[in-house]
Amino acid sequence: MAESKQNKLYDWLDERTGIKEITREALDEPIRGGARWAYVFGSLLLFLFAIQVVTGIFLSLYYVPSADHAHASVSYIQKAVPGGALLRGLHHYSATAMVILAVAHLAQTFLFGAYKKKRELLWCAGVMMLLIIFAFSFTGYLLPWDQAAYFGTKVGTSIAGEIPVVGSVQQRIILGGNDLTTVTLSRFFTTHVFLLPLALAGLVGLHLYLFRRATPAGPFHNRDDKKIERFYPKQAFKDSVAILICFIALVALAIYSPAELGPVADPTADYLARPPWYFMPLFQLLKYSPGKWAIIPTVVLPAALFGTLFLLPFFDRREERHPLRRPLATVLLTLIIGGSIGLIFLAKHQDRTNPEFADKLKRQEEEMRDYFTKPFEPQIIGAAAASLASGGKALEPPQAYAENCAACHGEKGEGAAIFPALIGVAGKPQRSKEDLLKILDNSKAYGLKSPMPESFPKISPEDKQKIVEWLMHLK
Amino acid sequence: MAIENDESGAPAPERRSFLGLISGLAVAGISTVLGVTIGRYSISPAFSASNEQDWTDLGSLDEFAEGKLVKKNVIVSQDAGWGKFQTQRSVWVVRKGETVKVFSGVCPHLGCSVNTRADKFICACHGSEWNVEGVTQAGPTPRGLDTLEFRVENNKLKVKYQDFKQGLASKEVLG
Repeated sequence: MAESKQNKLYDWLDERTGIKEITREALDEPIRGGARWAYVFGSLLLFLFAIQVVTGIFLSLYYVPSADHAHASVSYIQKAVPGGALLRGLHHYSATAMVILAVAHLAQTFLFGAYKKKRELLWCAGVMMLLIIFAFSFTGYLLPWDQAAYFGTKVGTSIAGEIPVVGSVQQRIILGGNDLTTVTLSRFFTTHVFLLPLALAGLVGLHLYLFRRATPAGPFHNRDDKKIERFYPKQAFKDSVAILICFIALVALAIYSPAELGPVADPTADYLARPPWYFMPLFQLLKYSPGKWAIIPTVVLPAALFGTLFLLPFFDRREERHPLRRPLATVLLTLIIGGSIGLIFLAKHQDRTNPEFADKLKRQEEEMRDYFTKPFEPQIIGAAAASLASGGKALEPPQAYAENCAACHGEKGEGAAIFPALIGVAGKPQRSKEDLLKILDNSKAYGLKSPMPESFPKISPEDKQKIVEWLMHLK
Repeated sequence: MAIENDESGAPAPERRSFLGLISGLAVAGISTVLGVTIGRYSISPAFSASNEQDWTDLGSLDEFAEGKLVKKNVIVSQDAGWGKFQTQRSVWVVRKGETVKVFSGVCPHLGCSVNTRADKFICACHGSEWNVEGVTQAGPTPRGLDTLEFRVENNKLKVKYQDFKQGLASKEVLG
């Protein structure tokens, strides 16, 4: 009885939506040679894209694409919002997983010769999607506006500027001016959350359509060609299990090794920029390319690689698909992937063994950890505007500041000669309220390079507190 | 490509539904984890405590002429997500002899700004009116103007700003 009611409802729905045929079309896809674990990569990538869209949409609920507030808003998501660290971690790690799996998917298709006859456009759409995934990485990297983001993007956009003839115009267009500013952040944000997702979604649709039209290529040895299984249930099961394992791994990574966030970008800092690992092969090659040769790893090689990949099915037209009977293709792929992995390890090894770099990278890592483990502190907004309302005066420095500090640092913290300005000091790395109090107590012990007179015993703890409170609001 | 029959023969119905069930469970599990996380994440600011405001100085008592409706802005501090914002709110002060009343500038009906016309308070949005005592004279407002807590110290008027729930017959602090 209940079942027939269910059937009736299903029939009713089908009459109006055609759901039966859609379901059949989706689940009864024929798979030549039968279901295999080797075929899970495409579904995994589709799943990761869905994760990126969902987590990305919700990250934008609190994120502010402005140089003034981006870092505070990411810090808030990471440290204060329940579930924020998990969502950001998922977004971070599935971005990395997408790069790895897209390369794996492409390498497999290449190795199995699945780009040949009838599947040329399917392959081209795939190569375009890999490019878009790299564009996602590049634009997403800047958004947290921390040290790594700022300096990494600085290098990346300078590379864009080195291209002959069009370079400097191209760089200005990417930056939206001649420096990395809040305008740059806005364009990266718009590209990352509107343009690239639209482009990728369109290509995913095209890729799936072309795939279903060409039907899966099946095993490369053609022996089991006659055996045909439907997508559901066996391949659907294998895909689901792979997706579940992938999701569990991403959640575990996001929880046990949270996505990093360093101190806010400080353009005056002496920061050693290092790209994310998947740009490391080019970074390493850059070291061997002095002067005008720099465009070889930054432009020529990537362009040649993607150009070759894109056009591959048009000049490799033999029907042979077996990797062992296509030795040149197989050796080339092994060389490129092996070489890239080798370059990544070489770059890491050189950073580890060069004492200067190792030291600096270690210090940067410590600064990052230090900032990361500190509790969230909201950004103070509108103190100056509010003080205008209270009679047009900026917040007055406390008496103790005027008596003890103003002689060197200026009456309003503007600094003088060799004495640093204190305006905006609270926004700098390692200058939290606690840090400033420690510096006031004993700046030599705190580790300032050019310390102030060692301590100020005549300033009472309450007055020190007042000075620091005032400094925290000083802009 | 039309295929009449799978060569391996149709899968046994139990196996078919077992594999389908596992696939369905995987999808349901992932959706639940994501759904719960996103739900918590999205609604969390709704339950953060509202901030208690400090006493704000409105100036010397002598500034307020007898029976006049005087508008003053106070600075309020708001914890809002990633920032601590300092913004302004309006209050109205009426002095009659030794008694003072400080009204919130927010209409208790639907939250528009209260203004004055001649010697009464009005809300232009929906036409509510109150006399100088804050007592309702006309319009859809459910209650009189909200009074704010104040004190006088060394002849200086100080107020503690608060927001109240709108649309209720009685005054209730928001938060």
